[in-house]
Amino acid sequence: MIKKVYSIPDMHCANCSMRLESIEDDLPGIREINASYHKQQMAVEFDETQVSEEQILSAVKKKGYQALPIS
Amino acid sequence: MATKKSQTHRSQSPQVDPVVLAALGVLLVAVAALMLVSPSLGQQGVTAAGGAFSMGQLMVAFVTGLTTGGLSCLAVQGGLLASSLAHQIEQDYLQNPPQGKKAKDKVQPQRPNAALPILLFLSSKLVMYTLLGALFGWAGSFLTFSPVTRAVLMIAIAVFMLGNGLRMLDVHPIFRYFAIEPPKFITRYIRRTAKNGTELFTPLFLGALTVFIPCGVTQAILATALGTGSALAGAALLFAFTLGTSPVFFIVAYLTTELGARLEKFFMRFVAAVVLVLGLVTLNGALNLLGSPLSFENLTRSLIPSSGGASAQAPSAPSSSTGGITLEVRSNGYFPQTLKAPAGQAVTLSLVTNQTYSCARDFVIPDLNYYQLLPDTGTVSVDIPAQPAGTTLFFTCSMGMYTGQIVFE
Repeated sequence: MIKKVYSIPDMHCANCSMRLESIEDDLPGIREINASYHKQQMAVEFDETQVSEEQILSAVKKKGYQALPIS
Repeated sequence: MATKKSQTHRSQSPQVDPVVLAALGVLLVAVAALMLVSPSLGQQGVTAAGGAFSMGQLMVAFVTGLTTGGLSCLAVQGGLLASSLAHQIEQDYLQNPPQGKKAKDKVQPQRPNAALPILLFLSSKLVMYTLLGALFGWAGSFLTFSPVTRAVLMIAIAVFMLGNGLRMLDVHPIFRYFAIEPPKFITRYIRRTAKNGTELFTPLFLGALTVFIPCGVTQAILATALGTGSALAGAALLFAFTLGTSPVFFIVAYLTTELGARLEKFFMRFVAAVVLVLGLVTLNGALNLLGSPLSFENLTRSLIPSSGGASAQAPSAPSSSTGGITLEVRSNGYFPQTLKAPAGQAVTLSLVTNQTYSCARDFVIPDLNYYQLLPDTGTVSVDIPAQPAGTTLFFTCSMGMYTGQIVFE
């Protein structure tokens, strides 16, 4: 299980964090997503044996956002 | 390729199904019903529990909902509605899988059922917010709001609205902190309910859950409901407001499901501008309530002495030999707006109401710390102590909407 933090510069309201957090229901292997509109960030905790970072980034893109890795 | 896509999209947009028309019809009937019922509410005086409350306020709440509330709420609660619709569309898709062989058939959205979940969602929201309004009004009945407390509350609301307007325009990252992010356990619960609920239950439940994520304008109306100090008045206020939000919410939500998040971004700018204006109006009301010479009305009156309008030309000199002055309190304000009184002697101000049902009845002279709910018809006298020459006493209604001044010379 690893944790990665991404900057999401396109978030424009608190609802965006809800949208991003819904990815945790869409992709197996994601334990938790914490998105913050205030910080314009998203922290993802996931099992890399079940889901890849590329899949997560692609899911974020599908929601209409761009994720830039911070850590 | 891209042109083809947009053409397909455009060709789908103009369809209006009968459910939408029926829904709009229902809403129009509801509006008419509200307009018929509200005057009687005003006349029968929902004022019993202490707060002046009238059709004027109901209409302001309704128009606020119609103009800014719908868009503002949509920006915050749109996701919930989208979840509700997504679930509906998913179910339709499973029940009626596309059978056409052409790719074009496959992308045809399941339109006919889109209006029903929106209607269920909005109905549920209307009921819940009415109850919430009753709760806030009831809670307010335990609190006494002096004009100063109310002004402070209004300033807080104005700052909140201005901050949110600037946030929406993305002026500076600091303004993001004006957005209230609901706790994650609530959003997660809502999301999973949206996914696993039943066809009718999901939009109803999600509509009810919007009470946990009220938009900025709704929060302002809730604060007003608190100020009414009456469960019935609070409920009526939130009912009018939420009903007002419904048509815009319905139409935009319906279109948004067609056009996607881009439309939401476009509307955000419009909402931001309106919220900023509303914030400034609220701040101005608070300044009036504090008797500040810096409010828009008081500034313009002092800069342009004739700005009192035609009413100021009416004889405002002492109306009797006893040094009394008379102010006519009408539903649409105070007349004349500028009264003149002799300096250096006590003056009696007669406040005359005649079938006055607006907040103008809730009369405030901030500098004298005087506030009184006037009868809808009658005369109330106020003893004003002697004032030095050149003094200006501002008066206002409890909402800071209607104003005027007494100039001592």
